[in-house]
Amino acid sequence: MQGNEQQAYDRGITIFSPDGRLYQVEYAREAVKRGTPSVGIRTADGVVLAADRHARSPLIERDSIEKIHEIDDHVGVASAGHVADARQLIDVARRQAQVNRLRYDEPASVEALTKEVTDYIQQYTQTGGARPFGVALLVGGIEDGEPRLFETDPSGTPYEWQAVAIGGSREDIQRFLEDEYAEGLDLEGGIELALRALASINDDGLDPTGVDIATIDVESEQFSTLPEAEVSDRLAEFELGGEE
Amino acid sequence: MYDPENRLTDAYEPEVGSIPADEGTEDDEAVVKTGTTTVGISTEAGVVVATDRRASLGGRFVSNKQVTKVEQIHPTAAMTLVGSVGGAQSFIRSMRAEANLYEVRRDETMSIHGLATLAGNFARGGPYFAINPIIGGVDEEGSHVYSIDPAGGVLQDDYTVTGSGTMVATGTIEGEYDPEMSIEDARALAIRAVTAAAERDTGSGNGVVVAEITADGVDIDAFGDYASAA
Repeated sequence: MQGNEQQAYDRGITIFSPDGRLYQVEYAREAVKRGTPSVGIRTADGVVLAADRHARSPLIERDSIEKIHEIDDHVGVASAGHVADARQLIDVARRQAQVNRLRYDEPASVEALTKEVTDYIQQYTQTGGARPFGVALLVGGIEDGEPRLFETDPSGTPYEWQAVAIGGSREDIQRFLEDEYAEGLDLEGGIELALRALASINDDGLDPTGVDIATIDVESEQFSTLPEAEVSDRLAEFELGGEE
Repeated sequence: MYDPENRLTDAYEPEVGSIPADEGTEDDEAVVKTGTTTVGISTEAGVVVATDRRASLGGRFVSNKQVTKVEQIHPTAAMTLVGSVGGAQSFIRSMRAEANLYEVRRDETMSIHGLATLAGNFARGGPYFAINPIIGGVDEEGSHVYSIDPAGGVLQDDYTVTGSGTMVATGTIEGEYDPEMSIEDARALAIRAVTAAAERDTGSGNGVVVAEITADGVDIDAFGDYASAA
């Protein structure tokens, strides 16, 4: 009977267990850990987002594995966890970014946009019949000329970071970042740190087609992704590439 | 079930409260209007907004002689009340609520351009009943004066005039304005413009209210006669 009582708090709607836990939200965090990792680095010159997008099969079209998304000119998102869940949140962020432009004729602030998304996530932890989002996001962008980097988690809590990892092997990558992150980093240094962080849990090295990198720099305030050839050059330069 | 669509804020409506339903025209004779002359002049040091104090019924009867037609809506911005008094007052309350929400949520104040865009959206989105306000304010970018027309047009200028006394007041400012003028000179010019309109426009009169807006805040003074204002 003991087993049945416990189960009653982790089925269907999200309700508190007697010891104050929300099992469904905790399970959603487990779903995030099952995803391949993404990394965000804030530097003085802008924000770097990097994602491991390993392919299950060489026959899959690589471009169809999307882990980094442009939200608006000046904001990007990297995800870890359920891709389908991520897409819903990304569309909320994209529309909210345009609502801000419509309403105020101004680009959305990264912090306000993140909080719109986390408020949205939170609703799915408190509504009957809803399932929490099994995804964490890194929201990076430029706000009033300053780089900002936020994380959203399945409970709907926003966190701001200098450097952060989400998804599988998060603890190991975060420890690596804590040891290696330096405040004076430039954008190129941020890209190197992001690649090294992803490689730190990958004994076989990184494959240029298996890594996605995007930057939003303070000068252009534009989201841009790094072409595969440039990722490849850097992996060779930093000796992070796998054996061919 | 939670409706995700409702999470998105409508860009053309206030977030709290609602736009009044169409007020119709059958009671038009009974609606108090401001007639009005409102003037906004921007200088390097700040913005001066000046208005008359008359409210009238059908342009034939002075229904109130001490209306304050410029109100603070933001820590460093003010808006004038032009058109139907009911529409303009609820417009001001909505704008104030929006500016407060924005500030408390983001820990920074709305830019004056953002404020003017929002006002234009509201004017366009709902029947606020023929309002034609001026927004004057100061932000990180400097001093700004905007006029909002009833169809939602948002126009920035160095100085602008709205209301029934527009022609007279604009003529007073025209040729006298200098972008480098002091805020004291701008204040004197704004008062002269409202005074001239009060002399010739039947919808304007009964004294002047002056708002001075700088980076430090909004300061509003009312005067029963034009001499004491100057």
